[in-house]
Amino acid sequence: MVQTRSLIDEHGRRTDGRTMDELRNVKIQVGILKNADGSAYIEFGKNRIIAAVYGPREVHPKHLAQPDRCVLRCRYHMSPFSTDTRKNPAPSRREVEISKVMREALEPALMLEDYPRAAIDVFVEVLQADGGSRCAGITAASVALADAGINMRDIVPACAAGKVDGKIVLDINDVEDKEGSADMPLAYMPHLERVTLLQLDGILNQEEFNECLDKALQGCKMIYEIQRRALIQKYFGDEQELKEES
Amino acid sequence: MQEIKRKYVVPGDKIVDGNFRPLSNVTKSGNSIFATRIGIAEATRDGIKVIPLSGVYIPRVNDIVIGKIIDHSSLSWQVDIRSCFSAHLPAQDVFGRDFSPARDDMNKQLAIGDLVTARIMAFDRTRDPMLTIQDKDLGKIPRGEFLKISATRVPRLIGKRGSMIQTIEQATQTRILIGQNGIVVVAGRSAEGTQLAIGAIRMVEEEAHTSNLTQRIKTLLNVPEPESTETISELASPEGQKLEGSSSSIPEAEEQVQEEELEKGDKE
Amino acid sequence: MREAISRSKRLDGRDLDEMRKLEIEVGIIGKADGSSRVRLGNSEVVAGVKVETGTPFEGLENKGALILSAEVLPTASPYVEPGPPDEETIELARVVDRGVRESEMVDLGKLALIPGKVVYTIFVDCSIINYDGNLFDASSYAVVSALMSSKLPVFEVQDGEAVVNTGKKMDPPLTTIPVSITAVKISDSVILDPTAEEEACMDARITITTNSEGKFAALQKGSTGSFTIDQIKKAAEIARIKGEEVRTKIKELTSNGH
Repeated sequence: MVQTRSLIDEHGRRTDGRTMDELRNVKIQVGILKNADGSAYIEFGKNRIIAAVYGPREVHPKHLAQPDRCVLRCRYHMSPFSTDTRKNPAPSRREVEISKVMREALEPALMLEDYPRAAIDVFVEVLQADGGSRCAGITAASVALADAGINMRDIVPACAAGKVDGKIVLDINDVEDKEGSADMPLAYMPHLERVTLLQLDGILNQEEFNECLDKALQGCKMIYEIQRRALIQKYFGDEQELKEES
Repeated sequence: MQEIKRKYVVPGDKIVDGNFRPLSNVTKSGNSIFATRIGIAEATRDGIKVIPLSGVYIPRVNDIVIGKIIDHSSLSWQVDIRSCFSAHLPAQDVFGRDFSPARDDMNKQLAIGDLVTARIMAFDRTRDPMLTIQDKDLGKIPRGEFLKISATRVPRLIGKRGSMIQTIEQATQTRILIGQNGIVVVAGRSAEGTQLAIGAIRMVEEEAHTSNLTQRIKTLLNVPEPESTETISELASPEGQKLEGSSSSIPEAEEQVQEEELEKGDKE
Repeated sequence: MREAISRSKRLDGRDLDEMRKLEIEVGIIGKADGSSRVRLGNSEVVAGVKVETGTPFEGLENKGALILSAEVLPTASPYVEPGPPDEETIELARVVDRGVRESEMVDLGKLALIPGKVVYTIFVDCSIINYDGNLFDASSYAVVSALMSSKLPVFEVQDGEAVVNTGKKMDPPLTTIPVSITAVKISDSVILDPTAEEEACMDARITITTNSEGKFAALQKGSTGSFTIDQIKKAAEIARIKGEEVRTKIKELTSNGH
């Protein structure tokens, strides 16, 4: 990708006014769907994404059930009105690939062996996309899985870093994705310290590669705090700490 | 044993360092215990566990559940217990050892659509839960209003030594059956009583984690204020540490469960 | 196998960071503008290049179009059934495509005929004939060597309107040779170029593509396990170093095949 215009001005501000290490605004609401066993809605910059979890539940069709563990199925889908040009509602190859890497990003955190012969279905619907929708989707899906009460080793935040105007920046938006020179989405389990999703498009030398990786990691840690706060807020209200009766 | 404060946890949170025994909804990694679900982490004399605040019902042996008959084969009824596992009730449990499909008509005892209170006799990783109705207070439920609540709210609805549910039953002149799987059946003398009971049950479900819930339920049901000394003795607990207003009875309700065949918590 | 690997021994005797034997034959399909048959151990892939003219992609009016696809043929293994591509195949095609596209291997800017209207359209299609692990690298090497050895028909614009095939041929405008290196994690060991058996046991997989300057152009972590950050940084370094070795081999084998 060859850049055609300046994406960072002389004061170090990006197209949306952020500094190079600044995350976009992230808001998460937990348990917003009545029927789903777990759900979350996320606003990540201009991304608007809903994640719903059904499960553990019986597997249909039955022959797909595994005797010793739960089957995890993920669907990432973009609504036709979610992008600048209308998108055909039929699943594209990109959505199929993202559904797969999303499942592979969440699976290491789930204790699927606790639910033999059952299934967990995760549906991520992108209502509005603005760069980094797969990271926002994974972030919302993790929260929805916790909301559904599924046994998890860790919550999985996801964030991207990239190269724009020759500099490594945190959390690429849509313009930076299209016109920048590299994009690296990452999903991470903060307590286990493991990477569950990593992709790269674009050109980075060894130094830039390491810097990008570290920056995306920092972003994940920030997002984890937001996920955690959203869950605590929903379940425990404003009582952050348990009150003891004397 | 060292005093460990109860605390709110989300999956992945470290609860404590040390060589403690992991019980339910926790996992042991290295020399620490971590939570695997959203809930309240607490230490009991047996080990560390998390009382979950969300999640579908996962069957446990000896749980009392309420299920609906949805089908039957020649040898057993298939029962929906609102879990990802479908339960079955063997015909022999009802007819006895010498049950014969040719002679005995299963529909005469339990028809499709009937609700039953049953106990989970057996359940492990390799087979679906098996039920029995051969105990006191188990069997077909003749009448009542049927509701579903989250299974995690059941202990709060029962209350400490049954206090919450008795308060509701007495105030509304109803009899309320509660399954650990979150199915509740309310049978009342009057329609108003039944509706009021249902309203109270819904309030408990929505506000289980808040403080002063007992008071608000009593207000809703127009229960007269008890003597203040009574209130204090009701709140005091021999166990020492307590949560403000909520979930104080959860440890008791959970103690019903003896051996958990499906070991959720014991993980290396 | 896990036990053996923890003792740094693989079932076929290779070292943890050793790649299997790579064989490349180019120009095997006369009707194609470029073609290549790659054998990486027992994995075998054939790639073919066909060049036509067509409309440019939206937003890329001044550039030629490059369209890559991959198909795992039912011949490849007893478990493959004919039918529309499954998610594994779609992922394979997209990862190989990104490696070639992001590295800008083909200088598409030189392949516009009437900007905005008519450009060169290069189709590269990959057929996987036999599966024995590491289709990501085998397919990538097939696509790259097919492109390297292809001869593009020369088109000309006449009277500013019509586009005509002059009958002449030219070498494709290439800027770099992207090389992908795939590693998988089994227990805590990271091994390169997995066989089918090794892939069946893997926790996680990572495919890293570098260009001729040793820069990273594409990366994909796959499968349901996870890596530590250090394992990733280390894998990236190995991919760069091994990538250069494989690049030399590809250049050697591709020029010989002419």
